[in-house]
Amino acid sequence: MIKLILVVVILGIMVWFLGNRTTHQVRAWQRLGLLLLTLIGVIVVISPDTSNKVAHKLGVGRGADLLLYLLTLAFIFMTLNLYLKNKEDQKRIVALARKLALIEAQLRLKNRK
Amino acid sequence: MNRSAYIVIPVYNEGPVIRGVVKGVLNHFSNVVCVNDGSKDNSASEVSETNAILVNHPINLGQGAALQTGLEYALQDPEAEYFVTYDADGQHQLSDVLKMLKLIKEEDIDIVLGSRFLGRAENISLLKKIILKAAVKFSNKTSGLKLTDAHNGLRVFNRHVAENLHIQNPDFSHASEIIETIAQKKFKYKEVPVTITYTEYSKTKGQSIFNAINMGLDILFDRLIK
Repeated sequence: MIKLILVVVILGIMVWFLGNRTTHQVRAWQRLGLLLLTLIGVIVVISPDTSNKVAHKLGVGRGADLLLYLLTLAFIFMTLNLYLKNKEDQKRIVALARKLALIEAQLRLKNRK
Repeated sequence: MNRSAYIVIPVYNEGPVIRGVVKGVLNHFSNVVCVNDGSKDNSASEVSETNAILVNHPINLGQGAALQTGLEYALQDPEAEYFVTYDADGQHQLSDVLKMLKLIKEEDIDIVLGSRFLGRAENISLLKKIILKAAVKFSNKTSGLKLTDAHNGLRVFNRHVAENLHIQNPDFSHASEIIETIAQKKFKYKEVPVTITYTEYSKTKGQSIFNAINMGLDILFDRLIK
């Protein structure tokens, strides 16, 4: 039962994300990456044994451990990504606010004259 | 009246003193740009009571961003030759500004920096002194310049410097950023002694130890990422 729920949720997320027309910035390789991730997710859910086999080949004890390591890596990567994006957004806000302030100041000066 | 110089004053919650400070500056300079950095108090209306130019950040962006905005405003005037950064809390002396302007006009220098350790720092606390001295050592190590005061708000520079300063660090670490720009672009610089008066008012406003730690970490991380 849990397998069915997980597979449905994973596929649902993929369809929603790829079908979302508003996310235009999503690049092609990011979409492919998501597709791959979904595929791996579904396989691992349906037969947990596969992750065990892969783990053994990589010298990791259990498939669950391997998943945890990958999850940690993904988490760090995501955090860094968000941090950089946040910084970029901050720069944009500063530029926008500055422009606004300068225009407003000029208008005020004109009205004073 | 000095028309070729623009005085840029970043203002953040300086309501009680800003009008007096600005009026004092206006006695010597006709071009005073106050950048109100989203103050929560009456700073903006206090500035509008004077003849200074008011530039209003719609939201708080930080002192570095305010300085950059003020500079960009001043640069719009093709007759602007000299640019002065000046703190809003009244800790600087106008006589020092005049002295620095005279120096930059007479000598072949791009930027003149005020130093409280060449000059006099009145009522400075021991802790503040230790932190500032440590900051100078750190700054000299990383930038390769030889300065005695790395975080002095009083600076006078020419158009060449103003056009090449693109202050990115929005917060207090802009002081280190300016110094690094001086080193990178090889501006000719000189430090002159200035007097800083720490009044009861300015003491409550200054930078805390946490700020100093934050600045240090910021610089370190910036270097790592670059």
